Amino acid sequence: MKQILLITDGCSNVGVSPIVAAANAREEGITVNVVGVVDQGAIGELGAAEIAQIARAGGGMDRIVQSHQLSHTIQMMTRKTVVQTIQHAVNRELRQILHSDANSIEDLPPEQRSQVVQVMDELTETSELKVALLIDASASMKPKLQAVEEAIRDLMLSLQAREGKSEIAVFHFPGRASDETVMDLDWTQDLSNVRSMFQRMQMRGATPTGPAIFKVIEFYQYDKMKGSDPALRNRPETDGMLGDYVV
Amino acid sequence: MTTSFNAGTLLAPGTWIEGKWHHRRYRVERLLGKGANGAVYLVRWGRSMEQAALKIGYDAVDLQSEINVLTSLAAHQTKRERRMLQSASRPFLLDVDDCVLGQIEVQFYVMKFVEGCTLQQYMDRQGLEWLGLIGYRLLQKLTELHHADWVFGDLKPENILVSEFGHVELVDYGGVSRIGRSVKQFTERYDRGYWNAGSRSADPGYDFFAFAVLWLHVVDGARLRRLSTEQLPQTRQPSDLMALVRTNVKLKPFESWFKQALHGYFTSSDDACAAWHQLAIQNGRRTLSPPVKGTTPGWLKGVFIASIVLLGSTLYFMLQS
Repeated sequence: MKQILLITDGCSNVGVSPIVAAANAREEGITVNVVGVVDQGAIGELGAAEIAQIARAGGGMDRIVQSHQLSHTIQMMTRKTVVQTIQHAVNRELRQILHSDANSIEDLPPEQRSQVVQVMDELTETSELKVALLIDASASMKPKLQAVEEAIRDLMLSLQAREGKSEIAVFHFPGRASDETVMDLDWTQDLSNVRSMFQRMQMRGATPTGPAIFKVIEFYQYDKMKGSDPALRNRPETDGMLGDYVV
Repeated sequence: MTTSFNAGTLLAPGTWIEGKWHHRRYRVERLLGKGANGAVYLVRWGRSMEQAALKIGYDAVDLQSEINVLTSLAAHQTKRERRMLQSASRPFLLDVDDCVLGQIEVQFYVMKFVEGCTLQQYMDRQGLEWLGLIGYRLLQKLTELHHADWVFGDLKPENILVSEFGHVELVDYGGVSRIGRSVKQFTERYDRGYWNAGSRSADPGYDFFAFAVLWLHVVDGARLRRLSTEQLPQTRQPSDLMALVRTNVKLKPFESWFKQALHGYFTSSDDACAAWHQLAIQNGRRTLSPPVKGTTPGWLKGVFIASIVLLGSTLYFMLQS
């Protein structure tokens, strides 16, 4: 199960639309959740609308919260998304197995529903989970980064309690060049040795949310490649990306 | 557009709810409370219009998951009952069904209605002398759950119902999690992870930690609130909670219990339950509350000894003469 969790405080203003990017992520099987953080004032109508649209396109949820609610929010969102992903898969199976008028678990009689939900609870706890956190580090986010880091540590604590393998990675944008997305932390299951998450951070005004989401999609793809058996890499039929080796 | 029912909509008193599968009808009396997974109403049903509690879920899967826990507990309890011939104390399921409200199909379950107020209300009205007994009964409930391989998880004053003479009932089973799994639902203030005191894995110790913070909240709420807001997340630690216990007259008698709970030293639920029981009885026997951190000044002790000596010598001379 793959998720992107975008934490931002306003509108994107550089590059491809983040809504397009989120729809692309969805296509790759990655759910996109969005949290808007506001401490003073409102996020603005435009920002709120964009946040909602990104989440809809990415098949995920959106919330606008204050920094002190951040830990609780991302913990809840991540968990709910796992449940929903499983629910979608189960509903799809049900449509295939059962007659046409039962196409979601709500349509099952209580006794059967109980059994299906038991299986779903099992999957919720044991399935593998990867969450890539994508942090908007534009100038206005600076005072909120402490809260963001705490929320990420708190999320890791919750994920560590799961039975299934759970990993997170952390990215922020923009980097040194305004179109760059920087990886702060590669896939990990433990943050206790990570002293400070955001060291190489340079606050800038630009907010290239769309390109950043694409970067993470690419990272997920690279991850899939890296995970494949190296012995199979030279065979063109299993990995077309490495065409150079083919004579 | 027609107005439709959603999770936030309140049902008006007098609304009828009819089950889709079992066709039982319930009349709403009033809202009892709202939990993380749904809203609970007081309803009347059947020929004699009996009272019951009906919970409408916000989400079919979450509610079903909770129902599964309740079913499994009921099954466990009947086994135990057969052995111990005890009366059923847990709120058991009366009905599970769906109904259409507005235009939306919602899921609900019905259980026995227990009259009572929240823990905080009870302690405010009846006084802290009930702490020992209510704590003991609560630990018994938790221990029972642990024996059935579950952890309550989201233990907080709102989820505890107290009725006359300190009888307690756990309500809202949405956070109940299998031992060894992750804790499904929790509230930051009572969470072991929040205080940097351990993991969020469901084990009996998780409930005991929450139990300890729960009493700090009920007995010493203002100081606990200050502690949790003033500190940086990475510096929160159980020893700060211990400092509050040590300096609170009402909790001081239970210091040894709190120490074990907050530091995760309890190895068995029965031990934790028995240890509290012991302290509660001992504390009730006392006629003076124990001193909190050396409040008796040295000069007072001196004067006391001097007065004893004076009394002794007076008696001596009186008897001599």
